[in-house]
Amino acid sequence: MSRLVPFVLIGAALAGWEIMARSGLWSPLLFPSLANIGYEFAQFFSRTDRLLEAWTSLHRALGGFALAAMTGVVIGMLMGRSAFVAGLLDPLFSGTYAVPKLALFPIFIFAFGIGSLSKVALVFLECLYPIVIITCHGARGVDRVLLWSAQNMGAPRGEILRRVVVPATVPFIFAGFRVALPVALIVVIMTEMVSSADGLGYQVIYALASLKTDRMLALVVVIALLGWLLDKALVVMRDRLVYWEKLETYYV
Amino acid sequence: MSLALARAGLLLFVVLLWELLWIRGLPAYILGPFEILKHFFAALGSTELYGNIGASLMRSVPGFAIGAVLGSALGLAAGVSRVLDRMLSPMIFLSYPVPKIVMLPLFMLWFGIGDISKILIIALACFYPTFINAYYGAKSTPKILVWSALNLGASPWRVFCRVVVPSALPLIFAGLRVSLALSYIVMFAAEMINADSGLGHLIRVAESGLRFDLMYVSLLSIAILGYLSDSLLRVTRTRLLTWQELDA
Repeated sequence: MSRLVPFVLIGAALAGWEIMARSGLWSPLLFPSLANIGYEFAQFFSRTDRLLEAWTSLHRALGGFALAAMTGVVIGMLMGRSAFVAGLLDPLFSGTYAVPKLALFPIFIFAFGIGSLSKVALVFLECLYPIVIITCHGARGVDRVLLWSAQNMGAPRGEILRRVVVPATVPFIFAGFRVALPVALIVVIMTEMVSSADGLGYQVIYALASLKTDRMLALVVVIALLGWLLDKALVVMRDRLVYWEKLETYYV
Repeated sequence: MSLALARAGLLLFVVLLWELLWIRGLPAYILGPFEILKHFFAALGSTELYGNIGASLMRSVPGFAIGAVLGSALGLAAGVSRVLDRMLSPMIFLSYPVPKIVMLPLFMLWFGIGDISKILIIALACFYPTFINAYYGAKSTPKILVWSALNLGASPWRVFCRVVVPSALPLIFAGLRVSLALSYIVMFAAEMINADSGLGHLIRVAESGLRFDLMYVSLLSIAILGYLSDSLLRVTRTRLLTWQELDA
């Protein structure tokens, strides 16, 4: 019985939705019934052209994310381990942290064109910040006793980096990835909503413009599912790689 | 000392390189740094920019306030009460990785195309980081402190106000900082998608009119706005959390 408690609120929300949809007080344009949403949801998976839209969005998000991950880990490590690099780059990263990089999008469109490249570039920029900041934080906080004992036992610098600093930082790197991955998806969907002719974000805007609320909501569910799956995949990968440290249950 | 010199040198180098490249001839969509500043100060003299900044702030500030207050209140409550935790947490953690901006079209249908739908979408986006940080802040309160407070005869409400909230505050501020950055992103996106005022609208108008000077003015305003509010938040944090050592 107590197992069911978590589902109480979700069930209540769904039931409330269905009642509102069926009550006839609102037009089905505002509250489409769950059956219609489910139908559109099934439609999505039975048609390859729609699945291709999801693939377009996914490869933009993952492309930008992968670039940001590679660059961000290197910059973060350098900033964490070298006071000079940190002093040089820290004002840049903490100063522009709260600035919405999305504002650069119109300029990116002129620079990189209206296709995938401008979106990937923006995803890269937005994902870079959390990865750099959290990696730097982790690399800086490596236990000094570990470093000293490694040095004391005669390990060369490269060896210390590879065997002590990197493993100690990996949990933080993954924490940064975990913040950045939803950001990648958000930015892709946003930029596709603002200017695009393909991808899930465009499909959402298109469904809205054709007053297909049920299709739009089905797409929202698809995007939600995608975000959730990406996060799960990252957690599985993290648990494989960082087997010595359990992940505190940050999500269910 | 050498660090400050290196910083200033790097900045000067980048600006000079940029300016020189611009003089040599860059594509029309890139303006030189001094050109941008010139346009920015010119725009500061006109009322149009202030109107747009005001319109943007009228959306982002209420949205951030609603999301932050609800997020920290519910997060603290869920961190303290087991029943609330089991009811709220699964739903919130499940929907956390979902980009909240996809709800904007739906909000537009429900609440109209005006400011309310934008404020609500900003509030929704800001709610999540604050909730999660407040939740973990309340959860990670050292048990010993709670026990000793109870042992000394404090009422549960007093324990909550004097022990749980102060120990959760550093994490709440971390969440607020993320939310603040997010509020500007979502505001900008919402205004770019549809609005008739605001900085996001200004940049779209400038884009379609090929007014690159206006584009950079809008960009610089939002950058300054983001930086100022982030600094404000950091100052508030150092004031409030005098007992905590800061490293960043």
